[in-house]
Amino acid sequence: MPADPKLIRNFSIIAHIDHGKSTLADRILEATGALSEREKQDQFLDKMEIERERGITIKAQNVRLEYAASDGQKYRLHLIDTPGHVDFNYEVSRSLSACEGALLVVDASQGVEAQTLANVFLALDNNLEIIPVLNKIDLPSADVDRTKREIEDVIGLDCSNAILASAKTGIGIKDILEAVVARVPPPKGDASVTPRALIFDSWYDSYRGAVVMVRVVEGTLRKGQKVRFLATGRDYEITEMGVFAPHATPITELGPGEVGFIAGNIKSVTDTKIGDTVTDAVHPTTVALPGFKEVKPMVFAGIFPTDSAQYEDLRDALSKLQMNDAAFVYEPDTSEALGFGFRCGFLGLLHMEIIQERLEREYNLDLITTAPSVVYHVYMNSGEMKPIENPARLPPTQHVDHLEEPIYRVTIHVPSSYVGAVLALCQDRRGEQKSLQYASSDRVIITYDMPLSEVLFDFHDKLKSVSRGYASMDYELVGYRPADLVKLDMLVNGDPLDALSVIVHKEKAFQRGRDLAVKLKDIVPRQQYEVAIQAAIGSKVIARTTVKAMRKDVTAKCYGGDISRKRKLLEKQKEGKKRMKMVGSVEIPQEAFLAILKVD
Amino acid sequence: MEPIGVYVHFPWCLKKCPYCDFVSFAKERDGIEHERYADAILAELDRRAGAFEGRTLATVFFGGGTPSLWAPQALGRVLAGIRAAAARHAGDDVEVTVECNPSSLDEDRARALVDVGVNRLSVGVQGLEPERLRFLGRLHDAEGGLEAVRAALRAGVPRVSADLIYGVAVPAKEAGPKYLAGGPTQEQSPSEAAAEARRVAETGVTHVSAYSLTIEPGTQFGELSRRGRLPIANEDGVAETFFAIEEALGAAGLGHYEISNYAREGHEARHNLGYWRGHDYVGLGCAAFGTVSGKGAGQHEGSALRYRNVIDPARYMRAALAGEAEVESEEPLDPETRLRERIMLGLRLREGFDLERSAAEVGAEAWTPSRRQAAERLVKRGKLTIEGGTIRVPRNAWVLADGIAAELF
Repeated sequence: MPADPKLIRNFSIIAHIDHGKSTLADRILEATGALSEREKQDQFLDKMEIERERGITIKAQNVRLEYAASDGQKYRLHLIDTPGHVDFNYEVSRSLSACEGALLVVDASQGVEAQTLANVFLALDNNLEIIPVLNKIDLPSADVDRTKREIEDVIGLDCSNAILASAKTGIGIKDILEAVVARVPPPKGDASVTPRALIFDSWYDSYRGAVVMVRVVEGTLRKGQKVRFLATGRDYEITEMGVFAPHATPITELGPGEVGFIAGNIKSVTDTKIGDTVTDAVHPTTVALPGFKEVKPMVFAGIFPTDSAQYEDLRDALSKLQMNDAAFVYEPDTSEALGFGFRCGFLGLLHMEIIQERLEREYNLDLITTAPSVVYHVYMNSGEMKPIENPARLPPTQHVDHLEEPIYRVTIHVPSSYVGAVLALCQDRRGEQKSLQYASSDRVIITYDMPLSEVLFDFHDKLKSVSRGYASMDYELVGYRPADLVKLDMLVNGDPLDALSVIVHKEKAFQRGRDLAVKLKDIVPRQQYEVAIQAAIGSKVIARTTVKAMRKDVTAKCYGGDISRKRKLLEKQKEGKKRMKMVGSVEIPQEAFLAILKVD
Repeated sequence: MEPIGVYVHFPWCLKKCPYCDFVSFAKERDGIEHERYADAILAELDRRAGAFEGRTLATVFFGGGTPSLWAPQALGRVLAGIRAAAARHAGDDVEVTVECNPSSLDEDRARALVDVGVNRLSVGVQGLEPERLRFLGRLHDAEGGLEAVRAALRAGVPRVSADLIYGVAVPAKEAGPKYLAGGPTQEQSPSEAAAEARRVAETGVTHVSAYSLTIEPGTQFGELSRRGRLPIANEDGVAETFFAIEEALGAAGLGHYEISNYAREGHEARHNLGYWRGHDYVGLGCAAFGTVSGKGAGQHEGSALRYRNVIDPARYMRAALAGEAEVESEEPLDPETRLRERIMLGLRLREGFDLERSAAEVGAEAWTPSRRQAAERLVKRGKLTIEGGTIRVPRNAWVLADGIAAELF
């Protein structure tokens, strides 16, 4: 039976990585009796191994909890978990829009971080009631007053009734639940009108096909009902309906304000667009829920198997990953240097790293990933615009009028003592300062517009290093801008390493080319002949290094007692060669292709 | 019948050389258990006699260590035992080599060895420059090395070989007492090395082994090198020296028949040729390796077994004399592995080797698609020739033989 909307509370938790979101979620599950003793393993909601290791949530998990509040009423709480990284910004915004309230969890010893801020603003945009929670108050370094002041100053949120908590020790959990009941508004919505439900998550299940998580905004969804997904225009019959409590539990109806999953022989998660509206197929609404957007990958990279025999395995693995990740796209690609592989698109760098790691770990593949590239807008002399995300595909310069590159607005939170270093870094990355404001006497919020390619290229690592780890950042696309960009090629004995071509700003091409040539010289093993390494723009060579020929590669003594050992050495050498790629007649090890990311 | 060799390891030296990675322990001549060690080997031989079944005993090699330290009668007893064990299978012209150090070889000792049946001596001359000999930890001087060779020849040893080490960098005088990597070194020029080889050849030896110094882990040099305290010779210079020595010895009538070996025609080291051609060998003594194939070794057709005896001499002797197995480890060699070894070893020879015949012998595939492809690539680069089933590394590519072999693995 659908619950009385007055007794439903939908909320999510907003927190920076490491500020204790997952631990808090676990405590809430325990406090409502949803977890058995046996299940109280840490971070119950983070299912995947990688998530648990990195302490981040990639796919949201959503649970229904029954809570007997101190007012004597039994409430139905839906805890809607949000992905915790800026790459999944849109998903976060959709998850938040499925809620009426949010807990803003701030580590009382750390203060507000850039990412937290971004999500709070998303929550405010969605008109959520925000309950500040100061976590980790048991830590000696916790500074409650200061943190409250910071939240008030930076976000403008009243902290007079902020809750003091420690998810680790369990302090304040009861207060949090009471506050959710008292302060988060109940959902509105008529149960009898044409249904409209928001899709805010989806995943692939090998038995059920794609499954979507929905929040019913109004009307009622029933098992067996024919429904339509408005954005794709496709109809499905709801064959299964359920909630996580926290284990999957079948139900037959979802009323206004309720959250649950539905399945209906949906082939692929690409058919389930986050933010889409589910309605009745026979009497559909024409008014979609607001905020829907097609998610487009922003970062592209080539992924190639080290061993070409793994090509088929890689293709299978990619298709399996895509079943569960509609934001991830791929298409076949070939490279002269790397052979057959795939060009893959990701929401951002973290998304890319996660996919890469899952391919290697879960599917046991050995991969070479090329330098990530952004999507450039190439304006041809004809006036036509071509989006190009693979530097190797850049049309010849004589046909190109100009290029535009994506610009991100980067927001950085940093202690004031590191402001100088951060400004210098942003300036060096072709950034354009937009604002600089003091969040408190010793914390500064810096905003820059910066080319995405510069953000991709080691920026986060550099930011962390110039601020000794104290800076945090967030970013969003603001648009495309013309830039003086050139294609830089690396040549080995005259043969281009197509996988190493990059599009760079003209002013940086020389330095980048020289750095790469020097780096490659150290990485390309000595061959039985001399190898010339060149960096070139078009036909103009801008840097050159030489790998001298190997003069001697022979075992002096090889008698009865030496044979096994020498043979094993050569076997190992041969094995190593398998991991190398032939470019023309030169063998290049895998590291060379990764080095391009790491020019200091 | 297939030839088989016997290797006998003698694990003692007067002093351990800093570059040597063979198993040897420093010991005074009087402290060595000459007869007991011989007894132990004869006991082991007894257990292994089955390996001679269906084979012709072609060579016996006493290596070490310094087997010229061994009392000749004791060595003679072992040799006689081997001849007896292989009696029905011994060839008429068994090559019997003993490795010698100049400090333990004079004319009398050489004669005594000839008397017990030795017909080839290999003398560790190593070099003719006092600085370098000292650096290599040798107990003899330049004249001592040459004199040992002459003594062997005077004693009527039919075949005498001399060992040389080149590619040695010694710390230059101004480098100070403790060498640090990058410090000034003094290296033999290719022409100096050639002159040295010529002087050795002039003694009348019929065989020369010229090795470029290899820094092996686990040796004193290896340790110094790891800590950056060993001068390392310039690679280009070493490669040039290889060819300079080849030219000098060639002019002296010593043909370059293996990467590090030169001989007058017919004086090639038959025992070592056995290794390079993939023949079986029985190893006797502590730390000795043996490789025996086929049914005699309890292996399937085409497969072989490599074993190594326990390394510690005392443990070896105890086990062998008690009639217990003295083996430390065993490695079964399947046909593919054996073929890879044939490639690695066969390409060390000037004549190359018949890949197709070897493959047929061990029951492996000679021309797998990837090997064929690699071979064609190498031929194109002038690093390999193929004539019928025989493959060979041309002379000018010899210095790159390891990488070439690895490509054909």
